[in-house]
Amino acid sequence: MKKTTIIFTILGMAALSAYITGCKTQTEMVKAKSGAQLWGENCIRCHNAPSPDTFSDVEWEVAGMHMQIRANLTEDETTKIIDFLKAAN
Amino acid sequence: MMKRTTILSALSIILAVSTVFAQDSLSTYDRQIANLDQQVTDLDRKFGKQFSLFKPGKSKFMLRGFFFTGFDMVSSEGETDYNFIGGGINPVLLYKQSERLFFEAEFEGEYVNNEFNLGLGYANATFVVNKYITVRGGKFLIPFGSFTEKLHPAWINKMSSTPLGFGHDGIAPGADLGLEVRGAFHIGAVKLNYQAYVINGPQLKTGVDEPEEAGMLKFGSYTDNNPDKAVGGRIGIFPMSNSSLELGFSGMTAGVGDKGSAYSKVRANLFAVDLSYVKSLNFMKSVLDIKAQYNYSQVGDANYAVPDDTTDLFYDFNNVSSGYYVQMALRPSLVDNNFFKRLEIAGRFSALQTPEGSLWEQAPTQWAVNLNYWFNWRTVLKLGYQTTGGLGDHDSGTSITQNMFTVRLAMGF
Repeated sequence: MKKTTIIFTILGMAALSAYITGCKTQTEMVKAKSGAQLWGENCIRCHNAPSPDTFSDVEWEVAGMHMQIRANLTEDETTKIIDFLKAAN
Repeated sequence: MMKRTTILSALSIILAVSTVFAQDSLSTYDRQIANLDQQVTDLDRKFGKQFSLFKPGKSKFMLRGFFFTGFDMVSSEGETDYNFIGGGINPVLLYKQSERLFFEAEFEGEYVNNEFNLGLGYANATFVVNKYITVRGGKFLIPFGSFTEKLHPAWINKMSSTPLGFGHDGIAPGADLGLEVRGAFHIGAVKLNYQAYVINGPQLKTGVDEPEEAGMLKFGSYTDNNPDKAVGGRIGIFPMSNSSLELGFSGMTAGVGDKGSAYSKVRANLFAVDLSYVKSLNFMKSVLDIKAQYNYSQVGDANYAVPDDTTDLFYDFNNVSSGYYVQMALRPSLVDNNFFKRLEIAGRFSALQTPEGSLWEQAPTQWAVNLNYWFNWRTVLKLGYQTTGGLGDHDSGTSITQNMFTVRLAMGF
């Protein structure tokens, strides 16, 4: 009984460690996403990804804030996407 | 001696003349330099002024929106109608006053029945409190599911029509007046977003004006009929780190009866579940887009007057409605061929069930398929076919079969 408890405890801790490590890796991956990647992932959730040359830098700032509100983008995502579009237009 | 004096005199004269000429030359150069200075100043003023015309200020304004037009061929009950449908134009004004203040407004203009109708889709001001909390007030699209708030514009909607249960006489709210808090954040790799709001809310139609609509909910009223405001919200979850899948859960509860009337205690509870899955399928060189939403509406018990009856007879029914749609689209946007990468095929099934025993009982189902051609990311030509069957509209209450061919041109700007 005691041996079984120890084995399950070790297995549980191993699983928890793997999960935490996995989460940390995933979190770092999310934080490390580029503006281009976020643009590709988020815009197409509702409509086609817009061409960067559609708008000027100033217009992208307005459209970006609009999408931050409407599409529930985080501030970090919005900043990266706008920076990418302004650099690529 | 005389000769030396002569030479010295001549040298003095030459020196004096040279000095005079030199002074003249210096004056000329000074004037030229002064002129050049002036020209540079003038040019700086001129082009500096022109440049300042393009230099962005803190206030940033933008006009966006969309336009659509098309052609419908509708066959129903042995009759076929052919119509060009009026051009609809929805200008959207966006105004970013600062990093924290934002304003948006949409006007809805459409030419119908020889009249141009102009309405206010939404108009609201937003204040960004911090990176997790945004507050907005005014008239806004209600985050009940995802279709109404995010997918309804003609250049975004992949189909030619809205699913059953949305729009006029629908069971899901559109836009309303009130106050909303929203935001988004990550917990690990999972992204969450939330919206919570207080609005005027839906109102109960009692049948006084339109007996055949007794028990229906009327959405988007400008003035409330009671002090019991509608409260609701939505939570969206992105369980995958690439944001390809979103699951949304929405709810709303509201007092809907007129204050002081026999219906003042009647409440409505609405729920919705929505799904969005968008993923590039490299092995098919295509983008797969799946959308779905289920709506449920429950209105409290109430008695309604039997129309055209003089004996004060009343009737009631279990006022529960539900509807859903499932839509799938596939676009081979990753292929090399410039024509095929612009094509998209989309299909949708939707169903609606309104209360049995009501005068607006209906249970239609609808299939729709579309072949779309994208001229660019925001302009599309949509060729569609849809067939609607089942228990028909609430005016007739009989079974219907309606087939419709549609052509739509939608342009976002």
